[in-house]
Amino acid sequence: MSHEVPPVVRLGHDLVRNFEPLGPEKAAYEIATHIRKFWEARMRADLAARVRSGDPTLHPLLVRAAQDLVDDDYDRAEVSESSGG
Amino acid sequence: MTLLDQPALETPDHGTPPVLGEATAQVTVDGIGVLVPPGTSVMRAAKLAGVDIPKLCATDSLKAFGSCRLCLVEVEGIKGTPASCTTPCVDGMVVSTRTDQVAQLRRGVMELYLSDHPVDCPGCARGNCEMQELAHEVGVAEVRYGLGGASHLSEPVDESNPYFAYDPKACIVCSRCVRACSDIQQTFALTVEGRGFDARITPGGTDFLSSECVSCGACVQACPTDALTEKSVVSLGMPSRSVITTCAYCGVGCSFKAEVQGTGDGTRVVRMVPWKDGGANEGHSCVKGRFAYGYASHRDRQMEPMVRDSIDDEWRVVSWDEAIARVASGFLELRERYGAGAIGGISSSRCTNEEVYVVQKMVRAAFGNNNIDTCARVCHSPTGYGLNHAFGTSAGTQDFPSVDSADVMLVIGANPTDAHPVFASRMKRRMRAGAQVIVADPRRIDLVRSPHVEAALHLPVRPGTNVAFVNAMCHVIAVEGLYDEVFLRERCDDVDGYLEFIARPEHSPEATEGETGIPASDLRTAARLYAAGPNSAIYYGLGVTEHSQGSTMVMGMANLAMLTGNLGREGVGVNPLRGQNNVQGSCDMGSFPHELPGYRHVSRPEVREIYESLWGVTIQAEPGLRIPNMFDSALGGSFKGLYVQGEDIAQSDPNTQHVEAALRAMELVVVHDLFLNETARFAHVFLPGASFLEKDGTFTNAERRINRVRPVMPSRVGKDEWQVVCEIATAMGYPMSYAAPSEIMDEIAATTPTFAGVSFARLDAEGSMQWPVTDAAPHGTPTMHVGSFVRGKGQLTPTVYVPTTERANRRYPLVLTTGRILSQYNVGAQTRRTPNDTWHPEDVLEIHPSDAELRGISSGDVVELSSRVGRTELTAVVSERMPAGVVYTTFHHPVTGANVVTTENSDWATNCPEYKVTAVQVMVTTEAARAASLESVEASVGGKRGERVPDDVMATATEAMARRR
Ligand code: SF4
Ligand code: SF4
Ligand code: FES
Repeated sequence: MSHEVPPVVRLGHDLVRNFEPLGPEKAAYEIATHIRKFWEARMRADLAARVRSGDPTLHPLLVRAAQDLVDDDYDRAEVSESSGG
Repeated sequence: MTLLDQPALETPDHGTPPVLGEATAQVTVDGIGVLVPPGTSVMRAAKLAGVDIPKLCATDSLKAFGSCRLCLVEVEGIKGTPASCTTPCVDGMVVSTRTDQVAQLRRGVMELYLSDHPVDCPGCARGNCEMQELAHEVGVAEVRYGLGGASHLSEPVDESNPYFAYDPKACIVCSRCVRACSDIQQTFALTVEGRGFDARITPGGTDFLSSECVSCGACVQACPTDALTEKSVVSLGMPSRSVITTCAYCGVGCSFKAEVQGTGDGTRVVRMVPWKDGGANEGHSCVKGRFAYGYASHRDRQMEPMVRDSIDDEWRVVSWDEAIARVASGFLELRERYGAGAIGGISSSRCTNEEVYVVQKMVRAAFGNNNIDTCARVCHSPTGYGLNHAFGTSAGTQDFPSVDSADVMLVIGANPTDAHPVFASRMKRRMRAGAQVIVADPRRIDLVRSPHVEAALHLPVRPGTNVAFVNAMCHVIAVEGLYDEVFLRERCDDVDGYLEFIARPEHSPEATEGETGIPASDLRTAARLYAAGPNSAIYYGLGVTEHSQGSTMVMGMANLAMLTGNLGREGVGVNPLRGQNNVQGSCDMGSFPHELPGYRHVSRPEVREIYESLWGVTIQAEPGLRIPNMFDSALGGSFKGLYVQGEDIAQSDPNTQHVEAALRAMELVVVHDLFLNETARFAHVFLPGASFLEKDGTFTNAERRINRVRPVMPSRVGKDEWQVVCEIATAMGYPMSYAAPSEIMDEIAATTPTFAGVSFARLDAEGSMQWPVTDAAPHGTPTMHVGSFVRGKGQLTPTVYVPTTERANRRYPLVLTTGRILSQYNVGAQTRRTPNDTWHPEDVLEIHPSDAELRGISSGDVVELSSRVGRTELTAVVSERMPAGVVYTTFHHPVTGANVVTTENSDWATNCPEYKVTAVQVMVTTEAARAASLESVEASVGGKRGERVPDDVMATATEAMARRR
C-alpha cells in the first residue's frame, strides 16, 4: 500500500518518476537540487539515513541523488532562484 | 475623507454605458457645452453636462432599449422628440431637455405608468422606487386614467428565492431585469410575456427558485421599482451609509458597496451592492458575494477565546490575555523541549495580505524557523511554480477585461460558471460576440452548452492525463508548422530542443488518444483553432493544478502559449482562475517555507539581510516544512505544535484520517477561525477570528489586482486578527506591533520590490492596482511580459508525460474527480451558514448512466464511495455530463467527507494534493441493497460515514458486495 511508504521515499520517488527521462546523471543532479531547495533538514536527514542503512526499497536514482547531496553536487544557483510554489 | 466613512449611497447613473474613444463631439445640452466620444448617447452626454433626463428603462449598466419614452428630448435639426437614451451624439448637436412639448409628453407617459401601479406600493414608503421621484420631477399631480390599474393587482408575490422577492404589482415592465439577466449575467432566465397592459415578467413560466435563475441579483439591482427587492431591505429598511470593500469568496475579487445601517457595534448590513467601479467585476457579482454574507452573524460564530488541556475535555471560555499567554507559553515550551523545528504555522488565503504577512513574520521571527505554509499549497501552488519557471512570475499574465479581446478561449480544468461566475459572465458575453471556446474537462460543464452559447469543442480529457493532452496540442502545432517562429526565436529559450521533443511521434494525438480519451481528430481541430487565434487565451483552474503533474501541466500550457506567440498583449495569456479570494496574495506575502515575501528563497543572504536588519532577528537559511511535511513530521514525532489561521485542514486536506492522526499527535493545536470547524476538534486553543466585514487590509485577486478590504463594522470579537498574531509573537518574547494595517502594507512595500509603489493611500486613490507596482509601472501592470518576459526569455520545457500512480484497477475501477458548485464555497464553512443551502443541501455523486446501470444505481440512491484509503456515503445522481468511468462530487459538506477517500498523492514539485484523481468503487447502499447484502459487511467493518476502513477489510467488503449484486 503506497500510503504506508515512508513520506520521504514516496516524495523522492515522485521526483524520480518526473526526472528519470533526463537520463541518470542529469536526473540525479536535478533531484538533488530539488531536494536541497525544498526539503527541510530533517527530511533530508531521514533520506540520508535510509540510504546509509541500505533501504532496498529506494530507487537507485534517489540513492544517487542523496549521494550528490552529501557531495554537495547540485545546482547552487538554481536552489536560490525563486520558485513560487 | 476615505471611502470608509463616506456616507453617500448614490452612485451616479449615466443612463447608458460609456463609449470608448476620443471625446471629439461637441454637444450643447440646455445651453451647456460638453465634449464626448461620438456615439455617446444624448442621455449620457446630458448627465456629464450636469443635466438629468428622466428615465425608467435606461441604466448605465445596460445597453439602451428605448421603451419607456420618458427620456424624450428635442434636438435641433431632427424632427420629433427622440429618446435621448438611444440617440447618439454627433459633433455640433444642440439638445433641449426641458421644452414644454417634452414636459407634456413625459407627463402623459408617467400618468400611464402610474395608472397601472398600486397606490399603496410599499416601495414608495421604503424609498426604494425611482418612479416616485420621477413622478414628482415630471410634474404628475393627477392620473387621468385612474390609479392602481387592475392588470397585475391580483398576482401573488414570488417569494421563492431566499434572498429577493418579485412583486408583479409594482412592475412597470421596463425590462431592465430581462436585459440584466441576458446582457450582464448571460443567463436568460427572464422573459416578457404578453403585450401592453397584460405584459409581465416571468422566469420561464415558473417561480424564481425553480427557474434557470442563478440568483446573481443583477435584475434586482437593475430594477427601478420595488418589484424586485432584496428581502433584507424589506425586513430592515433602506441603508443609511455605505463602505466600499472586497468580497471574501473566490479569486475574482469583486468590489462591493456594503450598504448598512447604524454605526460601530450597532452596524447591520442591509445589502451588498456590486460596485460599478470595481476593476474585477464592474458592477456585477454572484449569489455568494451579493447575498451569502449572513455567516458573519451566524449563531455558530465563536465570539470568545477558549482553551482546554486535552482534546477530550470541554472547552473553557477565557480572556484574550489568558488565551494568548497559553499559546505563547505552549509554543515556547515545545520549542524548548523538542527544538525550534517542532512548531509552525499555516496562513490562510481567506485572510488579508497584511494578516498573512504578520503570520509568516511571527513564524520566522518569534517561532524562529521557516515552518510557515499557506493553504495555497493545496490548490494553486503548481501555478506559482510552473508560471515562475516559464515566465519568471508566479502569477497570471492578464487582467480580466483582456478576455474581451480573445478570439479563442481554451478552458482547461475549470468550471467558471460555478466557481468564478462573474468572470464566466464575461466569457459568455465574449462567446456571444463570436469568440470560439474549447473546453478540456472530463465533465460536460455549462460552458460546453448553455442558452445562447456553445463551445466549438468539448475535449473530455481523462483525469490524470492533462500533460499528454497539452503535449498533443503542442505536437500538432509544431508538426503542422503552425507555431510563431518569430516569437519563439526572439523571446524564448531552448527552442530547437523543445521542437525536437514535442515533434516526437509519442506526443501525436493518435498516440495519446488511448490515454487521454480525446479523439485524435478533435484534438487536431482544437490545436488548429487555438493556433489560428489570432488571439488565443488559456483559462484554467484546479483541474490543472491538483494532479501529480500539476506543475508540469502549467509549464505545458506555458509552452503552448509561447509556441503560438500568445503572450504579452491583450486577449491572450495563461490565466489561472484562482480558487480563494487571496490565494495570489497569500503566496506573494512569503508564507512559503522556502521563500520570503516576493518569492525570494531563504538561502539568499542579501534577501534575509533585508528582514534581519528590519526585524532584528536571524532568519533561518534552510527551508521549513510544507503542510503535508508538517503532518508527516507530527506522525514521526518531531513536530508538536501548530497555529492554523482560517483553514479547516481536517476537512479540506486530502486523506482525512492521515491529517486527523497527525493533529492528534500534536501537543498544541491553535485554531484561529470564525467557527469551531473540524480542525478545532483537535485543537487546544481556539482564537475567534474576524469576518471580512470587520477586516481592514487588502486582498489580491487572480489578476494580481490588489483591492482594499475596508471594515464595515469593528471586529465583533474585540481584536483584529493581525493584532492577535502580533500579541502572540510579543508574548513569545519577540515584540511585534503596528498602529494600523496600513503600516503592515508600508513594511511590505518597503521590503518587496513588486509592491514598492503600494500603500493604502495609493489604493484608496486609484481604486485598485495590479502588481508589479513600481517606479516603472506606478499605476500597476494589467498585462505582463509585454516585449520580454520577467525572466528575460521564456523557458520552453520538455514536459514529459508521467502517468499518475493512482490508476483505476479491478478493485477500484472508476476515477473520482472533485469540483465546486455555484452556491457553495469550498468546505462550506461560510455558505452552509446561509440560505445558499437552499440550492445545495448536500454533496452528490455524479455518475455516468452506464456505470450506474452496471451497479444498479438510480438517481437518489445512497451509494458507498470507497478508495484504497477510506469510504464515505453520498446520494447518487445519474448524469450524462460525466464520461463513463469517471465519477464526480463536490466537497462542501463535512458529513460527506469527500477527502476521506482522496489519497496522499501529490504534485511532484509542490506537493499540491492530487484531489482530481482517486481510483474508487461505487456501490449502492440503499435500504434494500443494504438489507440484502451489506449489513453484515458494514457491521464487521464497524464503519460509519467518513471513517477509515482498513484496506483488507475494505477489499473483502467490496468484493462481497460485488458478488452479491
Ligand atoms: S438573479 Fe440573476 S440569474 Fe436570476 S433572474 Fe435575476 S439576473 Fe437572472
Ligand atoms: S421587475 Fe423591475 S426591472 Fe424588471 S421589468 Fe419590472 S420594474 Fe423593470
Ligand atoms: S429611458 Fe430612454 S426610453 Fe426609457
